[in-house]
Amino acid sequence: MILAASTSIGPHLFWITSRAAGIAAMALASGSVGAGLLISARGTPRRGLGGDARALHEALSLATLGAIAVHGVALLGDQWLHPSVFDISIPFTGGYRPFWTGLGIVGGWGLALLGLSYYARTSIGQSRWRSLHRFTALFWLLGIVHSLGAGTDAEQPWFLLALVLTAAPAVVLLAGRLVRSPASPAEAPVAVSSRMARETRHGPVPERSA
Amino acid sequence: MDDLKRLEAKGLARAKIRAKRRRVSSIRGRTIRGALGLFALAWAILFAQLVSGNDPALSRASSVRKAVAASQRTHERPRSQPVESPEVEEPEAVVPIEEEAVPVEEEVPLEEEAAPEVEEPEAEFAPEPEPEPAPVITSSS
Repeated sequence: MILAASTSIGPHLFWITSRAAGIAAMALASGSVGAGLLISARGTPRRGLGGDARALHEALSLATLGAIAVHGVALLGDQWLHPSVFDISIPFTGGYRPFWTGLGIVGGWGLALLGLSYYARTSIGQSRWRSLHRFTALFWLLGIVHSLGAGTDAEQPWFLLALVLTAAPAVVLLAGRLVRSPASPAEAPVAVSSRMARETRHGPVPERSA
Repeated sequence: MDDLKRLEAKGLARAKIRAKRRRVSSIRGRTIRGALGLFALAWAILFAQLVSGNDPALSRASSVRKAVAASQRTHERPRSQPVESPEVEEPEAVVPIEEEAVPVEEEVPLEEEAAPEVEEPEAEFAPEPEPEPAPVITSSS
């Protein structure tokens, strides 16, 4: 039985791995975006649970990037698709559903660049980095559209259930954020100035330098 | 006294920092374990789908293959069905030649088109079975 299963799965090993990594990336990205929106939500404490949410946000973001990398790289071994490095890294050039796959590649690059820019925010500038970091949600949405358009399991009930369960909280938080976004230009300077004041009082906050 | 208080405050601060680092590292560890578990779960679901033959892409491909094969059969069947067996098919190809040889008998030209499939085998077997009928009668008797 196991032998039969292993021989039957042989040609599809990379393909299944890529699909599983894509599903994991989708769920992790939803969790990360949700945690990020929670951190920036009004009334969330900076310490205690707020600090934990920050650590969780960072860990989820890194896990998402790892899963996205596995999702793309595993496809290189697939015997049926046979994509090249360019196919999986340059949007809209691949042979398999180029539009939907291209959206996913754009989303993946966007998440990687905006996520990793966290470690270069001192050189980018805090306020500029914050305004750039907001676009992460857009790339996350691109990823979800990619999973629905190009995903092999997009019509499977369990996949749709997982998508709704993981993405719904983040979508609700994002909608709430967008609804009160007219007030955000006034809030942002306050948030920045309060953080600066805290840092001048206590020195650099360790969780950010970590 | 001030020194003692300072030392206590420093100790407290260090303890807090240590506790925070521990908490952050435990969050990271749990997140990594959760991510790996999620990946393994998704992989197991996809594996089960594949092994049970319910994989969406493969079942779609196989159903397309079946449909194509079925349509090919339906195109072929109308030709092969009336003949029923390959034994009868062969004579069809062979008989016309014999007919042409036999039809020297003059009358057939009009009937040839209507009756070739049914009559030909008989015509083909007709010359050979002549010696056979005798044994058939003997066996039945």
